[in-house]
Amino acid sequence: MTAISRIRTGWSFAAPGLSLLVVMMGFPVVYAFLMALSSMTLRQFQLSPFKGLGNFVNLFEAPLFWQATFLTMRYAVITVAGEFIIGLAIALMLQKVLRWRAVYFSILTIPMAISPIAVALIWRMLLQPNLGIVNEALKGIGFGTVDWLGDPGLALMSMAMVDIWQQTSFVVLILAAGIASLPREPYEAAEVDGANSWQQFYYITLPMLRPVAAIAVIIQLINEFRTYDLPYILTRGGPGNATDVLSYYAYRRAFLGLSLNEGAAASWILLLIVLCLTILFFNAIERRVR
Amino acid sequence: MRKFRFARSMTLGLAASVLAFAAPASADVTLRTLWEDVPEASIIEKLLPQFTEKTGIKIEVEKAVYSDMHDKLALQLTSPESYYNLLLVDYLWAEEFPSAGWLTDLGPMTKDSGMNLDGFISSLWDIMGRKGDYIPIIPASTYSMGVIYRTDLMGGAAFPDTLEGFVKLISDMKADKDVVGAAMQGQRGDPNSMEFSSYLFAAGGNYLDADGKVVLNGEASKRALSLYVEAIQKAAQEGALNANLDDTGRLMCSGKAFSMISYWLMLAPLSDATDCPAVAGKLALAVMPGGRGNGGGWGWGIASNVSDEEKAAAWEFIKWVQSPEVAKQRALLGHAPVQSEVFRDPDVLAKFPYYAEAEKVVESGVSFPIFTYTSEFEDVLGTQISLAASGQTTIDEALSAANKGLNDLLAR
Repeated sequence: MTAISRIRTGWSFAAPGLSLLVVMMGFPVVYAFLMALSSMTLRQFQLSPFKGLGNFVNLFEAPLFWQATFLTMRYAVITVAGEFIIGLAIALMLQKVLRWRAVYFSILTIPMAISPIAVALIWRMLLQPNLGIVNEALKGIGFGTVDWLGDPGLALMSMAMVDIWQQTSFVVLILAAGIASLPREPYEAAEVDGANSWQQFYYITLPMLRPVAAIAVIIQLINEFRTYDLPYILTRGGPGNATDVLSYYAYRRAFLGLSLNEGAAASWILLLIVLCLTILFFNAIERRVR
Repeated sequence: MRKFRFARSMTLGLAASVLAFAAPASADVTLRTLWEDVPEASIIEKLLPQFTEKTGIKIEVEKAVYSDMHDKLALQLTSPESYYNLLLVDYLWAEEFPSAGWLTDLGPMTKDSGMNLDGFISSLWDIMGRKGDYIPIIPASTYSMGVIYRTDLMGGAAFPDTLEGFVKLISDMKADKDVVGAAMQGQRGDPNSMEFSSYLFAAGGNYLDADGKVVLNGEASKRALSLYVEAIQKAAQEGALNANLDDTGRLMCSGKAFSMISYWLMLAPLSDATDCPAVAGKLALAVMPGGRGNGGGWGWGIASNVSDEEKAAAWEFIKWVQSPEVAKQRALLGHAPVQSEVFRDPDVLAKFPYYAEAEKVVESGVSFPIFTYTSEFEDVLGTQISLAASGQTTIDEALSAANKGLNDLLAR
């Protein structure tokens, strides 16, 4: 078989899947872009007349848009860092567990299996300041109560805490799989050389785990930038603008402001930010690998 | 352009409704409707078998939380054919939906069927967007706001008749008794906008003056917002800035709050001795101190993008559910009436003595500004109230931003 025919065969196998992907993913993305360039609102449900970049300009001129963008970045950094640190710690601990490992993993996947809306509703009740279990427990052990979601200085951190609770199990699974696949030889050599556990972790585990860790971080960054369910259920973007992240801002533009076009423009900006971050991250990894 | 669009919507609506009325209601038609998941919905649901038995028309009820309803309805009403044909429309959408051409004009149907429009409490027509013979929505239930408070904690004192007196009372309650003075719904958006509106109207203020000019940064507004912020800081529960209606209801039910400014019909579930034993029998309803509170209600509408048969069937339902007999049955089960006759019915009053006060609450209700971007204005206003209440902005800055927001949205 010649190289050309091999390529053709490959493409012919890939074509059905690719076509489906283009239709299922490409169409909404392109349509959203057209909406972002249009004058489409919920009252005037048509693309024409096109406004060009007018919707993007409107967003760039809105202080709340920038506030939402920077808040989203802050939120993504907090949650991804939290998920990674806790996730790595749990994954390393689980490596040492020999009995009931499957049970531990099953328990860990429970938060991941629950719908984000349900998670938000459950945590809204748990964190309720007057009747919620968390504050009751704090009172029970002698602490004061905390206004988890009603204090503008604390609301974003509380939302991040709920997010970390749900998403960490995903990071654990990815990192645990990565750790399990690491070769044993470097560790054996390190032990012969007298390296302690910390040195083995820092000089062997971490560098070898980097590609897997990077994938986990990228996936979680994308997830966190898209976060919508939590602010919608937990805080509605408040108090004030304390939890008004970009995806919720896009929702407000589209459905409260009836401006589907501006909502689509905000979503496209969100997409571009995530895309840029992903490219930057992959480039950084590739440079390290080389 | 706006006027032309409105006229065009009205003409199209009129034509559609004439056609709809010409079509007979078919028993094969299934009515599909989206209702807020509140006790009121269950009350009407109990009576639905009567309707199906009488007309043969089946009805499927889907329930959702309030915050999801607007988006679900808007998506259907902008589609080629709406899944929901019979609509329950909040008064906050009473300009947006008709002006977008999403609703059938029910005016001709009311005339042809001889519906007694004068029987409805007149303030409800104002908030439901009726313009003479053009009737996009028929009042279905009311949820004007008043004060629900604990009589057992009053110690025989009279309920205050000024906003200042009320805020002092609830602040003292929190300071002196083992309760919070007021369960407040300070969450940004609809909850705090509605609650603040009651303060605003009670302080003698308004959003627009008689000429339609925005007056949200006037003295009455400053007084209202100052008192609202004082109440949040001195009298409300911890977490008030993220609390919504459900949270305040639960807190009141638990017996840990003295009062709540809320929808008058919340008194019925709170008075249930099984669900709320801590407060049942100890509650009373009062008109907002100052004499005016936020008015509100739901109304029946018919989607314009459904078949004529469906429209006719939906109208059959509206006629049935608002008939004097069914309206009384609903009221006896605890549903909020919209007709004066029902509020004053001796059987209804015997069962719910507070309906006499409830009628005053409904009659004195003032409408939140109803226009195309009402939902967005709630968000704009709610954000500013929340910022002021959490000390992140001043009263003047918050009102100035809300005033500008309303002006911008009205001009859009």
